[in-house]
Parts: sequence; C-alpha cells; structure tokens
Amino acid sequence: MRAAGVGIIQIVQQLKLAPTRVKRALLTSQVYQTKSFSATPQCYISKIQNEEKVFSENEMIHVVNENGNYMKYPWLWLRDNCQCKTCFNPQMQSRTIDWKYFDTSVHPKSYSRSNDLVNITWSDEHESQYSLKWLQEREFVPATQKKWLTQVYRLTQVPWNAANFSQVLKRFQYCNLIESDEKLLQWLESLAVFGIAIIEGTPSREDQLQKLANRVGFIKQTHYGEEFVVRNKPDTTNLAYLAVPLQMHTDMPYYDYKPGVNMLHCMEQTTEGGENQFVDCLYLSQLLKETQPDIYKTLSTVPVDWSDIGEEKKDAFHTLYRAPVICEDKLGQFARVNYNQWQRDSHFNVPLEDVISWYKANAIFTKALYDQKNMVQLKTRPGEIVTFDNIRLVHGRSGYSDSANNERYIIGSYLDWDIVHSRIRILKKEITRS
Amino acid sequence: MLVKCLHNGNISQPHSHKNNNDIKAKVSTIDEVIQVQSADGNVLKYPWIWLRDNCQCSSCFNPKLQSRTIDWRTFDISVNPKSLHINNNILSIEWSDGHCSEFTLKWLHERSFTKDNQEKWLNDVYRLPKIPWSAADFPSVLKKFDYSDVIQSDKCLYEWLKALAEYGVAIVENTPIQEDQLRKLANRVSFIKRTHYGEEFEVRNKPDTTNVAYLSTPLQMHADLPYYEYKPGVNLLHCLVQTTGEGGDNLLTDCLHVSKILKEFHPEVYKILSTTLVEWSDIGEERGMKFFSLYRSPAICEDRWGQFARVNYSQQQRYSHFSIPLEDVIPWYKAHATFTQALYDPKNMVQFKTKPGDILSFDNIRLAHGRTGYTDTKSNERHLIGAYLDWDIVYSRIRTLKRQLNLI
Repeated sequence: MRAAGVGIIQIVQQLKLAPTRVKRALLTSQVYQTKSFSATPQCYISKIQNEEKVFSENEMIHVVNENGNYMKYPWLWLRDNCQCKTCFNPQMQSRTIDWKYFDTSVHPKSYSRSNDLVNITWSDEHESQYSLKWLQEREFVPATQKKWLTQVYRLTQVPWNAANFSQVLKRFQYCNLIESDEKLLQWLESLAVFGIAIIEGTPSREDQLQKLANRVGFIKQTHYGEEFVVRNKPDTTNLAYLAVPLQMHTDMPYYDYKPGVNMLHCMEQTTEGGENQFVDCLYLSQLLKETQPDIYKTLSTVPVDWSDIGEEKKDAFHTLYRAPVICEDKLGQFARVNYNQWQRDSHFNVPLEDVISWYKANAIFTKALYDQKNMVQLKTRPGEIVTFDNIRLVHGRSGYSDSANNERYIIGSYLDWDIVHSRIRILKKEITRS
Repeated sequence: MLVKCLHNGNISQPHSHKNNNDIKAKVSTIDEVIQVQSADGNVLKYPWIWLRDNCQCSSCFNPKLQSRTIDWRTFDISVNPKSLHINNNILSIEWSDGHCSEFTLKWLHERSFTKDNQEKWLNDVYRLPKIPWSAADFPSVLKKFDYSDVIQSDKCLYEWLKALAEYGVAIVENTPIQEDQLRKLANRVSFIKRTHYGEEFEVRNKPDTTNVAYLSTPLQMHADLPYYEYKPGVNLLHCLVQTTGEGGDNLLTDCLHVSKILKEFHPEVYKILSTTLVEWSDIGEERGMKFFSLYRSPAICEDRWGQFARVNYSQQQRYSHFSIPLEDVIPWYKAHATFTQALYDPKNMVQFKTKPGDILSFDNIRLAHGRTGYTDTKSNERHLIGAYLDWDIVYSRIRTLKRQLNLI
C-alpha cells in the first residue's frame, strides 16, 4: 500500500530551511478520529435480575462486593478483556481481539449478575462473562493495585546502610538452591528486596555459576562473554583484571542494557586484601535527595558519557552510553546508579556551565560512597558466591598482592532482571498453589 | 617559554602565553576555565577540573586500557593551574598539586564544550541520527544488501548497520537456505541476544504453542517482547520458505514517524500514550521452562530529553491488569484506538513479502510490525528463522567499523 504524493524525506530535503509551518501544512491529512459512546433515547439498557447488585452508569459497570461497596469497571476495559474464546486464548493467556476492528463506541445492551458471575451482552452482540474473583483482583482502587504491584509485579526494595547490613545479608546453601524451589525463591527475593545475598558451599568447579543461572533462566552475555574470570591478567584492557585496588563502581554503566545481577564465585582467595566493598545507592540517593537536594538534582539530571574501548578475545569494542549518575524512573523513583572512574569518557557533552557543578557533586557522591556509615566490607571465602544488584549497588575491591602462592581467582557472571523477576513470579505462583 | 602564573586563587588578572603559532592560552579565574584562543580568534574554554580529571599522563590514564586511573578517593576538586605553556600544539599545565599535564590541541578541540562540536560528536560517534519515514518514503528508504558482501566486507557490514540505525529497516538478500546463516550474520556484529524463547526461534505453524506468532492467522501490528525492560533491539527474520499463495506479507510502520504526527496533531493523545503505564505480559512455557514476564511502560516512551525512545504495542501481550487511576482508563483506550488507526494507516504502514534467502532486519524498539494471514498446508508452508541483537552491541560494532574505515 503506497500513499500518493511526495514522501516526507523528499519534502524535508527540498525544503531544508523551510519554516515549521510549511512542513506542518504537508502533514495536515494525518488527523484521526475515534468513535465514542453517546447515550441517545434509542439506547436501551435492560436490567434482567439482581438489579441492585450490578448497574451501569458513566460508561462503567458497577458491581457490588461483599462489603456492600461498588467496584467500578469501564465498559471499554471490560469489552477489551472479554474472556470468551474468540477474545482470549487461555492456553496462550493472550487477548486475541483484533484491534483494527475494535469499536470504541461499544456499550452494554444488557447485563446481569448471577452469584459470582457478571454477564454482559454488548451492542456488537458479543457476550461476555466475568467471575467476581477475576474482577476483584483487577479492581481500580489503590489498595488492590498496590497489592498486585508489590506482590506480583516487583517486590518493594528495602534500603540499607552499614548499621543494618548484618540483618540484611542472608546466606544460602548452594545445594539447596539447586534442589529446592522454596530456597531458590528465598534467594531471589533477598536479591530483589535487599540487593545482596551470599551463597555458601559451592563446589569448586568452574561451571557452577552456569548451573545456578540455569535454575533462574539463563546467563546474560556481554562482550566479555558469559562467564568471565577475575584474576590477575597482565595484558588486559580491563582494570578489573589487575591486582590493584578497584575503586567503587558499577559494572558496565556504558550499556543501556546494563547487567542486572552480578554473581562472583570465589574459587581462590588471597590471604591479605581482596575484600569486597558495597554501598546501597537506593539508600544513598534517598539520603542525598533529603539532605542535599541540589547535589541530588545535578547527579540525577546531568548526563555523563560512560565508555569501554578495547579488545576481548581479538574482538574490538567501543561501547558508549549517556546517562546521569543517578537515574530515576518515570515515577521519579530511584531506578539505576552509574558510577565508574575508568569507564567514564573524557568526552563530556554537557553545556560548559554544568561541568564544574557536576564535578563538585561527583566529589560529594564519592565521599558518601566511601563513608563508613554507608559502605560495608566483606571477604568471600572459596566456595562462596556473592550475588548483588548491579543496577542498585556500587561495589569495589581492596588491593591485594598477587603472587604464585597468593592468588585470587573469581569467576563472574550476570543475570538480567527481566529473567529474575519472571522466575520469582513463577516460583511464587507454584509454591502458593502447592 | 614558560609563563609563571602568580596564582594563589585570588588573582583577577589572568595571565596568557603566546607561542609562535599565534595560539594563546590563558587562565580565567572568574569561571575557572582555561581559554585557548586559536589564530582565527576562536576561543575555546575548558574547566580546570575537567582538564585535571582527564590528565593523559601515565599515572592518570592508561592508554592500553583507554581508562582514567585517577583514584577519586583522593581527588582534590580545589586543584587549579599554576602555569601554562604551549609548544608544538601541545598545551602543558602545571597544577597546584604539583602534577603536570599535557594535552594536544587536537585532543582538546575534539572535546570542546561548544554545542556544534558536541552535536557532531554525538551524531558521528555516539548514535547516528534516526530519520523518520512514511509509506511514501519507504521505497527510497529500504536498502538491500547482499549476504556474502556483508559477511566478507567490513564496509558492507557497516553500510547495513548504518541503514538499520538511521532508517530502522534493511534487507539482506541471497542468504543461503540453511538454518545457521542467521547466526553467522549475527556473529559479524557480535552475538545474538537470548530471550526465554532461546537464541534462534522458528516462525512456522506450531499448533500446540503458547505464542500467537507461531500460528498461521494474521498477526496484528505489534513490537516484539514489550514485556521486557531490556526489549530486543534488532529483529532479524530469515525467510527459508515463503507461502506461494496469498498472505504471509510483512507489515511495517515507523513509530518514530507516527509519534511525531501524534505529537503535532493529537497532543492530548500523545500525552496519554507517553505517560500512562500499561502492563505488558507474557505467560507460558517454552522448552520446559515456565515464564511470567511483566513490564509496566507507556506505549510511547520518551528519553530524558523528551525524544522518542521506544514503542510498546501488542494486543496479545497486553495484560488485563491495568494499575492506573480509574479516571485514566477510558482516555487511554481512546488514545490507543487513535494510535491503532495511525499504525494501520496506508500513509504510514508498508506491506511487502520477503522471498526465500531474504533476511528482514528492523529496529524492534522503533518499528511496529505485523503479518497478513496465510493458508498453511503441506504444499504451502511458511518457515522463517528469527534472532535478535541488542543495540548496545550493534552501536559498538558501528563505532569500531567507523574507526577502522577512518570515518571517525
């Protein structure tokens, strides 16, 4: 199907310096209209029985619940979510309605309530049935929605600092996570809520992270591969592979799709040094927002150029991503932290007047990261896997002396939160059911 | 010749140095920058603190790692320049902390804090600007590449990825009819993005499936996996067998283009679509593993600069749960109906059929796609192999190729 006339690109090329109003005139034919329901004398709604338990008003169906209150459901939403077999495929759990033909002026011709079912016959002759339970789960009230969002969508994150870390840090046994779905769920919930957990008793083999990841879903691959070895590598292009102290940082701030969960399996540990350090930036960002709002504003709005340039297994890469140090979601809540000195590019594409204030804010943030009130330190032992939220926590490592009889050997791997959250939901559903 | 800066932080008279190339540099204490003035009178300003942070000497920067090695735990943000010197196009600075830095003028110029320069770098290096298209533009927008060229030539690989980045769609032709060819193409970029459907997925009639894409009915316009926060960036569909009869056509709409139209002519609709959180979902089982994916996001997502960033559109993967205030529900449905109309509008949507050997590649973050129905029988099958790439990986490859080809 091809539209008549000259395309937009040609027009723009011809009218390179054309004022906006000229370009606007060329697009005027793209105005859309949709139909709405309008109550007319011919519109007839019959109430068959149990009149007081269900009625229709203001383009919504009202259904009384056990408390005598009315739950309200817009017609459009009800029609869109009809559960009959022409509208919904239960095996696929998918809506099959073809929206090309969806009529937004659809309205109920008649409706009734019988015990736990609400029946509607629509103006398009379609018939729908909804169970009370199904309706209650989806009621458009804050309490019900909050329950759904915090119990099914994503668990509420709980911030922590150094003072309460010991209560927050949970430990699990590797074999339990492999064999028990309940334990697997508990581990993943700890990660989702607190952002950190330790797994003990991991066999000293290189494939154990893969085995664990397969219990969740699958490993997130990056340009460093699926599993990466963290040990002294003199010819590397990545600082993490040297024995020097590793400043506080998040892994891969230069990826839009930054790895969500970091898993570090300790195979060998140094006798001195090599401690892991962590800060919960969910906690820190809330603290800054409250006590130093100007600093918070700078850190959450000025975009920084994060980068990684090098070569891994002879494959060249040049990753780049622009994002503030503290990223908020669409609701203004903490979403992600980016912090890294060696993966922060020298290019800084912000107005000149924003540069100095950003550096001052970065300095304050840095100080807060190393503040003993915020930062915790722990040393993993061989057989332990430290797992943490790489979107939320900042981590570091103290230096160590790497020699032939004092090595440090860690295997690392990542998971994506999309996959982890999906596993949490399935496990919760199955464990609740059983 | 070194000019000493009588600098104790209180000087109001900046000192300057002139070398035989008429390039001047001076310290300005008022705004804490160093000004570099070239012969044509252009003055470029660099904040001291940025210069000190980006010192290129061997204790501050590791050229092999291309990484800053400064330990910010001990970084002094009150550091200031004590003296400047320009010689042979190198600016040397002696700092108040005793440190010395050297910057080539070329390096400085590339990073100058002017709007034009920054825009150039962002467009040339960061991300190629996207060019929206309508149905009328499509014939001139759709570029085709030969599979063996893309496999063998880095220049051709770059051209293909460039077309994808700019227009969001391109076709790679003459792919051998073997199931592993898609992977071979993906490996030229880097690696396939895995989802809970695996790495490569087959698109053919699968009667017992939990995904409507695997049936022969028409596939409404949609974007793949809106229920992933980390939604697949590039969709690759390798046509192995195409229906000989009618149907099985691909449908595509550029939602970058549609979102601009809506923003201009239906601003209220645009506002609703770009703010109301919709719940996208996928529930089922694949290869013995159950999944329950869920993600809340508007139909049109903006980035932090208010620009189009992503489209989410799917009837079958849009959940019945809708966790928004009651009064926002009906307006959302009406906006959604307008959006649907726009997606199917022949002025916006294109239709074409790929042939065996074609790999249709498109931007799954930007385009909506669909498929007309077809009659799937023993003698009239349709068989495609699909795989995804992430944009992080594609952009990285574009940059390394550009450098290799001396385009940046």
